[in-house]
Amino acid sequence: MKKKTYLGKLSVLITMLVVVLLPLGAQGAKATQTDISYFSGRVETVEWDTQQVENFEKLNPTIKVEYEFQKDASNVIKVKLASGQVPDVTTVVTQDFIDNGLFMDLSDQPFWDRILPSVKDLCTDLKTGKQYKVATNITMGGLFYNKQIFKELGLKDAQNWKEFVANLEAVKKAYPNKTPLFLGGKDSWTLGHLIEFWAHGVAKQQLGIPGSRQAFLDNAVRWDAPNGIMENFAKALLELRDKHLINSDAITATYDNQKEAFASGEAVMINQGMWVVGDIIKLNPKMETNIGFGPFPSVVAGLKPMVLSSEDSVYAVSATTKSPDAVLTFLDYLFQPEVQKSFSETRGIPSAFVDVDANWSPIKDDATRLVNSYVNINFSTEAPSGLSVDDTGRLIQKLLHGDYASPAQFAKEYQKIWDSAYATSN
Amino acid sequence: MLPATSKNRFLHPNTGSWHRYMAVPALVLFSLFFLYPLSRGVWTSFTAWDGFSTPKFIGLANYKAFFQDSRALRDIQNTVLFALGSAPLLNIAGLLLALLLNRTFKARATVRSLLYLPAVISPMIMGSIWYLLLQPRRGLLAILLQQIGYEATSNWMLSGSSAMLVIVLVNVWQYAGMTMIIYLAGLQAIPIEHFEAAELEGASRGNIFRFIVLPQLTPALKINVITNIIGSLAVFDAILALTDGGPGYDTESLSIYIMRMSYGNKTGYSTAVALILFFIILVPVLFSLKFFNAKEKT
Repeated sequence: MKKKTYLGKLSVLITMLVVVLLPLGAQGAKATQTDISYFSGRVETVEWDTQQVENFEKLNPTIKVEYEFQKDASNVIKVKLASGQVPDVTTVVTQDFIDNGLFMDLSDQPFWDRILPSVKDLCTDLKTGKQYKVATNITMGGLFYNKQIFKELGLKDAQNWKEFVANLEAVKKAYPNKTPLFLGGKDSWTLGHLIEFWAHGVAKQQLGIPGSRQAFLDNAVRWDAPNGIMENFAKALLELRDKHLINSDAITATYDNQKEAFASGEAVMINQGMWVVGDIIKLNPKMETNIGFGPFPSVVAGLKPMVLSSEDSVYAVSATTKSPDAVLTFLDYLFQPEVQKSFSETRGIPSAFVDVDANWSPIKDDATRLVNSYVNINFSTEAPSGLSVDDTGRLIQKLLHGDYASPAQFAKEYQKIWDSAYATSN
Repeated sequence: MLPATSKNRFLHPNTGSWHRYMAVPALVLFSLFFLYPLSRGVWTSFTAWDGFSTPKFIGLANYKAFFQDSRALRDIQNTVLFALGSAPLLNIAGLLLALLLNRTFKARATVRSLLYLPAVISPMIMGSIWYLLLQPRRGLLAILLQQIGYEATSNWMLSGSSAMLVIVLVNVWQYAGMTMIIYLAGLQAIPIEHFEAAELEGASRGNIFRFIVLPQLTPALKINVITNIIGSLAVFDAILALTDGGPGYDTESLSIYIMRMSYGNKTGYSTAVALILFFIILVPVLFSLKFFNAKEKT
């Protein structure tokens, strides 16, 4: 009887222990879960990213991805960095961040075998020869034009500045109520891209891509040289303004106005990147077959037309991540061919992976033609990070407003803000 | 008298010095969220710091750089110009509206609510709406004018002064309701007997306003003037939405400059400018406080 009581007490004790220890066991299982943070500034892929994070977590239940999107990501990340919160994976990468050792060396990762060598080159840090970022796509920028009007007027890709002006004048003559080239200058980054494409492009063509990247890093390009790149660029823009070949509200029209004007047929040409195509088709589905894509001419005589063809959709991994394996598993998932195909089609830009065949845009054929026919230039990732396209666009606002006494003064002003940003970054 | 046992001390504590300890939580919070960030800010203003690398002490160099930067000096001019236009207009408009709406008429409550409504909308949204209405060539107003045969050839955004005027008017439109509410509260606190006595004495409306209303509105005037000075000198959203500080930097305010410098990897410098802005705001606020306190005493 006594033994029975003892056994009863023992079983109660064991049951209690099991009840108490079970949640602890569950906690132990929870402790094996790895949390990683993924910070992105890509507004057009918020839904896509959310979906992929969900899919990844289903396949990898032990890894939790905290996805965060910020519209103003390039600035928000600076606040995060200032407070010591480096995201495990980020799409925001600048040369300064690389120089400060914030990112992990990805040089030995197997995915490089699947990426176009030209894109790998653009991802290579010139100072160390290593890859601290990986780009999954290529973006292109150039002149979008109304195919129907170009065909009707017998216009072709301009091979030089003179031909470009002649094309615009032909449009103006045939359609006095249309805007030959529409600028949305209130959103000053759109004007900043004119410098990025038309002016920096000249330096890139003259020095070659590796040469210009090094020259930007060393601050070796003289933007204010007499009759140099910036002076010619300013002269070119003033010529368009004075001949009324751009919209009269070029400084106060917005990026949305630019898209609407092109989609509605009010504007015949716009200078933009591929990201604009999807919005134009949304605004006017009939434009799907009517969007032409051409190169921009050199503002300095004697050079070839150019097209921006640069790395896009960049990822970098924190050098101090606590979970490198989980982060690389996440990247491996994102870089799978079928996932990248869907990414390419969502963004409407070509993939940098050689094994991804996507139907990314109605301008696919034009883009291939341009890449093969004209000088390809990259984005100025080695320009001082303190010099934003917003700042440079404001100089063009002032130029078009007539605030500079001469194109040479504009060139001097550009050199000044470049030098100031360079001094801050170095 | 009860002996001082521990039970008695619990029931009848000597609370003479307790109040000091009660202030501790507030002091801790104040130190943590105000004094510490402020002192860090002051320290940061003496450094060259991009926001992510190691800060380098450079003494007063950031302050010197500010007074040598023509863009920064123009931004001070823009900010002060905006405040000089906005703060008095807001007070005049708010006071006039309060005087009008202090009378009894049908739908008074609805009119008051409608006038106050813009103040609760985000200034960014408000600025964007006004831009859609006033945008040169493409705004609703320009389209309506075109339809009645008038082609507006001038572009208000192209001149810094006309752009600033539009920004001031939009700001007044948005916040006049808020100023009005404070004046209304002040007006309603004036005892009705004062008006009755003045009317019995045969005082004119002007004299009633000058000798009865205005002196008793001093507390409301003080709140409105000071908050409007602070708000106007720290103006940010309205300019950002309407002109984005353009053309060039012609309408940029000091607050926008601080944001842009900070995001342009000049965190140390932008902190120094923020402290300069603090003093730019502090001086007129202290002056106004002194003025109104003296008025209240008399």
